[in-house]
Amino acid sequence: MNTAPTSPDTDPTSARDWLDGLLESDARDDRAAYIADAGFTARVMQALPVPLTLPAWRKPAVVALWGVALAGVSLALPAAALDVAREAYRLLGAHPVSLSGMVGALLFAGALSWSAAAFALRTTD
Amino acid sequence: MSSPEVSDAQLLARALVGDDRHAFAELVRRHQSSVRACLRKLTAGNHALADDLSQETFVLAWRNLKSFRQEARFSTWLYRIATNCWLADARKRKEELLGDRDDAVADEDEAFASGLDAAHGDHARGAALKLDLERAMAVLSEGERAAIVQCYHNDLTHEEAAYVLDCPVGTVKTHVLRGKQKLKLALAAWAPETN
Repeated sequence: MNTAPTSPDTDPTSARDWLDGLLESDARDDRAAYIADAGFTARVMQALPVPLTLPAWRKPAVVALWGVALAGVSLALPAAALDVAREAYRLLGAHPVSLSGMVGALLFAGALSWSAAAFALRTTD
Repeated sequence: MSSPEVSDAQLLARALVGDDRHAFAELVRRHQSSVRACLRKLTAGNHALADDLSQETFVLAWRNLKSFRQEARFSTWLYRIATNCWLADARKRKEELLGDRDDAVADEDEAFASGLDAAHGDHARGAALKLDLERAMAVLSEGERAAIVQCYHNDLTHEEAAYVLDCPVGTVKTHVLRGKQKLKLALAAWAPETN
């Protein structure tokens, strides 16, 4: 038995006797008797999970689908963006905002962002 | 085929990074004998079961290669997986056989006693002693058997055995001590005579 890191004085199993000799000689015999591979490695390699291989057509198909999607988006986007701008203008036009209201909103937004920054940068004691 | 000077660490790196199955096959070839021998000891000489568990050990090692942190030698890590496979299998079998446990234990004891008698009469001393030791090991609890196999058969330190068995060093020592006491009782006929 390999007991190197354990001090023999504190190790209750270190007192050697006939059984230690018997176990050690049995272990020596077993270690000396190399077990021939006899196809074991091949069986292990066959039992390993099959690597995940993607079909060859998958990559071009994905690229083509992305291409179609991007083309669709680029065709639809100008009209959609125009619609959004038009609706926003109509909303603002319907509810005219006074200068004092705009200043108030700007002040409120500024105060909010400075408070948020102060909260984020606060020191924790 | 890898040259013999390629270390386990290099083969591991190739298996990990490049998903190199040839490198892993070389690791299996290198360690199959020691893992199978360890499991043959743990299964008390059941070679077929030991080989099945060895195969399971290497498949699990492949699946968990990324979790091997090199805090122990690769062979020690394999012993750890092998011992866990054996423990899981032993527990499963115990659950299946729980109904007729008393009969099984009685039969086992009878077979053990008759084996001892027969062995003394019929076989050469060395072979008989080996057979008796194998049978005596089968009588030990799982923890005791595993601790004795790791410390004696695999020649691990108590600390390495504790890593393999995933328990404190003190528990390993206790298992070894109790296991040896049981083995001494079972193998009392082989004890040298004292005046």
